[in-house]
Amino acid sequence: MRHAGHFVRLLALVAIAVVGFLYVRSLVVPKDFGVKGHYRLSAIEDEAKREARHIGSDACAECHDDIGAAWKAGKHHTPQCENCHGPGLMHTKVVAEEPTTGYPDPILKFNNAIKRPTGIMECKWCHLKTFERPSTLKSISSVREHVESHHGTYTTETLCIDCHNPHTTVVTLPKLAASSKAPVAK
Amino acid sequence: MTSLHSPDDVSRRAFLEAVAKTGGQSFLFGSLFVNTALLRLPQVEAGAKARAESETGKGVIYGFVVDTTKCIGCGSCVRACRAENGVPEGYNRTWVEQYTFYRDGEVFVNSPNGGEDGFAEQLPTRNRPSGDEAPMRGFFVPKLCNHCIDTPCIQVCPVGASFKTDEGVVLVDHERCVGCGYCVQACPFGSRYLNPETGTADKCTWCHHRVVKGLLPACVVSCPAEARIFGNVSDPDSKISRILATNRVQVLKSFLGTRPRTRYIGLDSEVI
Amino acid sequence: MHHYITEGYVLPNQAHIYWTTMIVLYPYITGIVAGAFIISSLHHVFDKDELKPVSRFAMVMAFAFLLFATLPLLNHLGHPERALNIMFTPNVTSAMAGFGFIYSTYLFILAVEIWLVYRTDIVHLYQHTRYPALKPVYWLLALGILDISEEAKRVDRRVMIVLASIGIPAACGLHGYVGFIFGAIKANPWWASPLMPVIFLLSAIVSGVAMVMLCYIVIHWLQRREINGECVHALIETAWYFLIIDVALEMLELINHAYMANEDWTILKQLVTGKLFVSMFIIQILLGSVVPFFVMGYVVVFKQRVPAMVRNLIGVCCGLLLLAQVAAMRWNVVMGGQMFSKSLRGFLNFQVDLYGREGLIAGAVILCLPFVVIFVFSRLLPLWGGVESFPKEWMKETPPVRQPLKGWSKFTS
Repeated sequence: MRHAGHFVRLLALVAIAVVGFLYVRSLVVPKDFGVKGHYRLSAIEDEAKREARHIGSDACAECHDDIGAAWKAGKHHTPQCENCHGPGLMHTKVVAEEPTTGYPDPILKFNNAIKRPTGIMECKWCHLKTFERPSTLKSISSVREHVESHHGTYTTETLCIDCHNPHTTVVTLPKLAASSKAPVAK
Repeated sequence: MTSLHSPDDVSRRAFLEAVAKTGGQSFLFGSLFVNTALLRLPQVEAGAKARAESETGKGVIYGFVVDTTKCIGCGSCVRACRAENGVPEGYNRTWVEQYTFYRDGEVFVNSPNGGEDGFAEQLPTRNRPSGDEAPMRGFFVPKLCNHCIDTPCIQVCPVGASFKTDEGVVLVDHERCVGCGYCVQACPFGSRYLNPETGTADKCTWCHHRVVKGLLPACVVSCPAEARIFGNVSDPDSKISRILATNRVQVLKSFLGTRPRTRYIGLDSEVI
Repeated sequence: MHHYITEGYVLPNQAHIYWTTMIVLYPYITGIVAGAFIISSLHHVFDKDELKPVSRFAMVMAFAFLLFATLPLLNHLGHPERALNIMFTPNVTSAMAGFGFIYSTYLFILAVEIWLVYRTDIVHLYQHTRYPALKPVYWLLALGILDISEEAKRVDRRVMIVLASIGIPAACGLHGYVGFIFGAIKANPWWASPLMPVIFLLSAIVSGVAMVMLCYIVIHWLQRREINGECVHALIETAWYFLIIDVALEMLELINHAYMANEDWTILKQLVTGKLFVSMFIIQILLGSVVPFFVMGYVVVFKQRVPAMVRNLIGVCCGLLLLAQVAAMRWNVVMGGQMFSKSLRGFLNFQVDLYGREGLIAGAVILCLPFVVIFVFSRLLPLWGGVESFPKEWMKETPPVRQPLKGWSKFTS
């Protein structure tokens, strides 16, 4: 060992590096890491802390009870309120006048509250004819064709909700009543 | 010894018992038999592991069933997921695929914008060069994270930022993920992506944050066709358990051995 | 991350390429490390004396490239500040988790080996340098111990043998491991193959030999030093042998895909004949493999009958071609595996970026950094032999040319 002094110094440097690494590691690694598995246990809580942005149709009906009851009794009760109106969490916060800051998310684009349905796009999602859709689902190939086959006048402003009530599926014919005599076959 | 040549005569248990007996008596044939028996052990072990880890285990184990025969391709689930989880544009935690089959054997698969804007009759892929005859059959397939039992994504995560909860849900720790993207490469189903906003890996969580509050995942709630079923598979009376008990289900890419917890009803062989 | 234009059906999350230029560069750099280290070991351990003129340089080059091997990775990470998590909480089931430990172990071994090779020179330069400012640097490099007695040298040599015997498997491990990162991904049919680590290792050696050969000839041309013909011949020969095994395995991999013709071959066939046609069949196979095979084969077969100038020219040209071959191979593996979707029904129209964090320019800068280190090193310590090859005006006293010790000739370069 008399002529290995440089190796002693080298090994000392290595030892310092290893001890330093272990010390830093003990400071940096969260205490709950590896408690149950090779992960940080509180990551589950972090994930669980997120708020549910879709509040559910029952929650909507607490205030909008008239629409809610009609929707529930009608044939169109499988699509939920939030399918067309967007998630309701922001809306409830705005209505309750709670501070709504700290929501850097896509629902901000829905006017800070709730999405305003177009009255035609939402219908097309399900009721536009596509080969792959089950034939039991009522669907149309195009809005123009559909309106004209019922003797209506199609304009670019024509909306599905002009005749169809999306909440109840009840059909009223405001435009047709003025222009057409023939009753629409149901 | 006859059991080797006519296994039909003896049940497997009897066979193994015979193996154990002769194993003690004859060195040569005994070792042969014991080896045969040992070869079977991993299977038995894997079966026990599967049982312990899935259906009949105690506690809550979540499962997901996608009934492709019911999906109408409205894309509500995709929109609900994006809004619920703030999924950035161009990425999807769930998406809907449209399959169209023609008589000449051609198959067209499409998922414009993940199905978020719905599907229409006229799509670019419908302009087939080989003819314009009507399609033969078609369907929609919603996809999402399979929350595999043997997950390749957790396996490859170098820092332990991907993990599985006791309920079988695969999650990402966004505070430890280094954003290397290895899990994205390792997922055979394309379920993961690197979120450009957080710089970390991201994926479907089966809406873990909703489920712990007693709610259903956003895609399940929003599905108007009941094509998505989520629930506790260890409870024999749950809706999902009853569906699993009365249907033939399949998983995606079963040959990769990841043992997905998301199962499909009415899956076509063209769906990969 | 770009949203690329796609053809056919691409899974929504795969309209992006998550691993780009940096992940092509990373195995390229570690490959050069492994190859250069093998060259230096061929001299130091396997007594290939023809390679003596480049053995020190190869070692320094391996070290310089290894210093920057992590840079492309750090540049690629979504959270580079968390990079050390890979060593703080390594996940034992992850192939990638070994990186931190394999890398730092190998860096340590390589640094100590270089240190031992240069220790006598460091001490001599500490005592005789004409620049007082450099004295503390040499003192630090010697760790403050100036013992270069015969006994100390004997201890050094013993340690070197041990380190070399660890270093070679470590070099193979470092690079085989990089291949395993890709080869063990069952989700990707273009990657999943047990051949991948072997192919990565062999192409690594090819690229390392090519880089050493190219630098040796070009730097000697620039500095008007005499080029050792035997050394160039040995380098060409080594490159040729490893190229043959490497290309044979690369072709085996491709032919195996085609012959087995699994479900995935439908899309892989379109991949190699379409998007990868130029980078695979033209660059990797024709220009990078077939041409160097015949040209270097000419040198190997005709030996001394090849004129020195022709041999050197061939060394430079084939060095460039081989480097292109390996770069193309890395590209074809890393990018090829992401150009098709796991739906096995669609492709991405990938375009490489020029600017930006993971662009080509950033990659070129990273590739240049090791040469900066080599240049700085060459001002401190000699690259092409002992301290006697240093310019006379840098030292107060030139040491006598060292005589090899009996039985230890291979360690006295």
